[in-house]
Amino acid sequence: MTPPAINMSSSTTTTTLKNNAAFRMSLGDITPNNVGQLKRLNVVLFPVAYAPSFYKEILEVGEFAKIIYFNDVCVGGVCCRKETVAGSATQNLYIATLGVLAPYRRLGLGSKLLNHILETATEASTTPKVSKIYLHVQFGNEEALEFYKKHGFEVVEKCENYYPQFEVKDAYKLEKVLVASN
Amino acid sequence: MRDLPQKEGNLFKQILKCYELRQYKKGLKGAEQILKKFPEHGETLAMKGLFYSHLDKKEEAYDFVKKGLRYDLKSHVCWHVFGLVYRADKNYEEALKCYSQALRIDKDNFQILRDFANLQMQLRNFEGYVETVHRLVDMQPQNRQFWIGLSLGYHLMGKPDSSLKVLTTYEEAMAEANSKPDYEQSELLLYHNVVLSDMGDHEAALEHLNSIEKIVLDKKAIKEQRAKFYLALGRLEEAETAYRSLIAHNPDNFAYFDGLLKSLGLSADKLSDEDQTKVLDLFKDLKKEYPRSNVAKRLPLRFATGERFSKIADEYLRTMLRKGVPSLFVNIKTLYTDREKEQAIETLMLGYLAHLHKSQGFDNSGAVVEPPTAILWTRYFLAQHYDFKGDSDEALKLINKAIEHTPTLVELYMTKGRILKHAGDYVSAMEAVNEARELDLQDRFINSKCTKYMLRADKVAEAEKTIILFSRADIADPLNDLVEMQAYWFLIESAESHLRQGQTGRALKRFHQIEKMFGDFADDQFDFHAYCPRKMTLRAYVKLLKLEDQLYSHPYYLRAAQSAIRCYVSLFDKPDGDSDEMEGMTESEKKKLRSKQRKAELKAQKDAEENKKKAVAVQDTTKKGKVDEDPEGLKYLKIEDPLAEALKFLRHLEALASDRIETQLLAFEVYFRKNKMLLALKALLKAHKIDASNATLHEQLVRFSLAVRKSEIKPSTKTVIDKHWETLYHGQDLATFTGAFLKQQKDSAVGSVPHLISAAIAASLMDSSKAGKETAEEILFLMAKEEAKFGKSRSVENVQVAIKTLKSFKSARTQELKAQAAAWFPRATAFQV
Repeated sequence: MTPPAINMSSSTTTTTLKNNAAFRMSLGDITPNNVGQLKRLNVVLFPVAYAPSFYKEILEVGEFAKIIYFNDVCVGGVCCRKETVAGSATQNLYIATLGVLAPYRRLGLGSKLLNHILETATEASTTPKVSKIYLHVQFGNEEALEFYKKHGFEVVEKCENYYPQFEVKDAYKLEKVLVASN
Repeated sequence: MRDLPQKEGNLFKQILKCYELRQYKKGLKGAEQILKKFPEHGETLAMKGLFYSHLDKKEEAYDFVKKGLRYDLKSHVCWHVFGLVYRADKNYEEALKCYSQALRIDKDNFQILRDFANLQMQLRNFEGYVETVHRLVDMQPQNRQFWIGLSLGYHLMGKPDSSLKVLTTYEEAMAEANSKPDYEQSELLLYHNVVLSDMGDHEAALEHLNSIEKIVLDKKAIKEQRAKFYLALGRLEEAETAYRSLIAHNPDNFAYFDGLLKSLGLSADKLSDEDQTKVLDLFKDLKKEYPRSNVAKRLPLRFATGERFSKIADEYLRTMLRKGVPSLFVNIKTLYTDREKEQAIETLMLGYLAHLHKSQGFDNSGAVVEPPTAILWTRYFLAQHYDFKGDSDEALKLINKAIEHTPTLVELYMTKGRILKHAGDYVSAMEAVNEARELDLQDRFINSKCTKYMLRADKVAEAEKTIILFSRADIADPLNDLVEMQAYWFLIESAESHLRQGQTGRALKRFHQIEKMFGDFADDQFDFHAYCPRKMTLRAYVKLLKLEDQLYSHPYYLRAAQSAIRCYVSLFDKPDGDSDEMEGMTESEKKKLRSKQRKAELKAQKDAEENKKKAVAVQDTTKKGKVDEDPEGLKYLKIEDPLAEALKFLRHLEALASDRIETQLLAFEVYFRKNKMLLALKALLKAHKIDASNATLHEQLVRFSLAVRKSEIKPSTKTVIDKHWETLYHGQDLATFTGAFLKQQKDSAVGSVPHLISAAIAASLMDSSKAGKETAEEILFLMAKEEAKFGKSRSVENVQVAIKTLKSFKSARTQELKAQAAAWFPRATAFQV
């Protein structure tokens, strides 16, 4: 992912920006009618081409897939997959994609998306309980690595040849444990 | 009722009751029972016909009614029934005649008179209407609706003073009876005020308005009218107060601001410098007072000029771009009638773009960091701006940049489609808009737009598949839902696409559907003639009547009628089905093409039959509605007298849009072919009066003159034509006439391609030799020679017509022009070889 053209990460700017009426953000549901927006985002954001079945499943995971609007324009999204764990009453959550269009980075949109997933995962009403959330980050994507570490994720594994189709084939596996497994 | 014994007489009364109660089947049985004994009883026969008419058996209906009349010509019942049957068929003229007959026999029949009045209103026979309602008032003076009707009738026939007298008399009589103010009384008084103001006596109208204020419920109407009266009377200070109070009520109504300016004496189109300052200061205050009013922010742009304009525009544009208002360009482009303003806007916007690139601000002050959407909306605006200026390349560059920046924004793809459409690349345009559609499948607007673009690209099957995504799923032919919903745009666009593809039958079918829809509109008003005077919605009723009077001048009808008439005219010219495609082909080539078309036709027919079978099978289970039995519209192609069909479309235009030159040009084409030289002349004269310099008119004048010279014309007709010769041709011979027409093009700074086409056709008609053809070609190629002059007029459509014209001359230079056109419009699919 290319870094944003302008670095606006200094804390003072960010706070004034967030209070500005011209900087509005809001989360939105993914529906069969707007899933085209998510597809378009993913084509631009990720080198992986996702199969139609991927988008079919997205429509089934409810709050674990969201898009985010900046000033009413759809600029980012997150898609998770629920995974049952054999012999356990809990489930795992895998973040398949999370991304924001380049011009809209460093405005807190990614954090808002991730926080939404974390909050939903720990909500009492979520059953079965989510024991951990995990994901993969390609080698060399320091920006993403920093982002997830900031939100309490830890590198647990180096997966060699995880992306066999790309030049950089290796990936980190990161996870965050929510409920100690029994 | 005549000569029936008591038993049958009672039965007859019962069947009359059945009609009133809409028990048509029961009534029919009763009638048949009487007829068993008295098969020659005219009134019963007529009633039987009436029941048939309501049971959707139209032929039997007319048979029986006519039979009834034959046995009893002197019965008002028979004539009344005959009128009712015609009325049910929307044949108001004939119905009116029957009613007249009935009234001649029974002149005081209340029910017939009442129906008669409604028919007269439908046909706008105001004199007759007033007369009829007068009799109704005499018969039932206590009945309010007849008084109202009488007043309406006078008002509509342009006699507001008589209308007023009726109203006053009625109000005086009713003053005591009805003292409690209610909606109906309120509307009546407001209508009274409208009549007064139509008489032009604003003083009296204002006084009346004040006197009824307490009773009237529509307070807004009172305020608006009062402000208008003050203005008309020149009581400007009071007008100002009135408009300021209206603005306080709704600070987003342009008309109120307009009124305020007028009351301040500041409404001139070109304001003096001093007045401009006054207006701008006024708006400064208004903006402060109504910070949420869009109109208060937008209107100053209309009045400001020069530096002041730039300053206000700067502030306005920044706010809108920051906010992200997609309609900003549409809103701004109305200012582009002023070249200076267009330039100022362009300078500002280009400045923003440069700064946003560098510093995320609209300027280099660094004071404000704009949201990342600001640069997006700036590019979006500029893309539309350059498209408007006809610079497709720059527009596409900008819109592609914007899409790269934010590929999820639907509007960007819509605009990209629009730019490509203007560049003549209909297929890529369609693809862009389809991308927009796929981003938001639940947006009906985008779905419809996409359908339209598909039709423009002549992808009818795809278009139909797309549009029915939003139509009713539970009917057998979902496309027919579009007809029921009166979706004009779809019918027009698909008709035009069929035309481009040479499917005249399918196109005509659509045009007839459109014509019928307008007919339905006209019919729909009928019920209101009785309803509105009863319910007192008089102001709305008068507005409705005025709207109906203008119905057929609607652009959609004009567009449909124009194409339909052209279709029928060319069916008349080429009855063996030569299409435009065949222009300039040899006989054997034509033969080949025809057999190809015939095969396609047969296949289509077979497909249609299969579809029908399928549809019928489905219909039996769940779906409602009929299946189209002639989707190809073959019956329209087989019509005996195409010009008569053309006349049907033309009649409405002549009645309601006779001041449009298109109407007269079409009228000429029809009458000229019918050999009605005087009517053709009349059309030419009217067109000449509307716009003597019209391009097509010239070609028609030349054709007319040549025909008059050649054909055998009655001396009396010739005299009339001669009388107008000077007006139309300035006494010139044809060569001089066309020469002068062409010289105008050569002399003017801005040239017109349609005029060149018209002159070329004229030249080729005057001289059918090789030399004539060469002259015509030379005229058309002027558009290529004089770049600066014809550049603006050289649109894709105009050049297409020019190429077609060359083809019709069988010109060897057709390909040459086409190659030229391909260079002018590198993206246009029409010119690609």
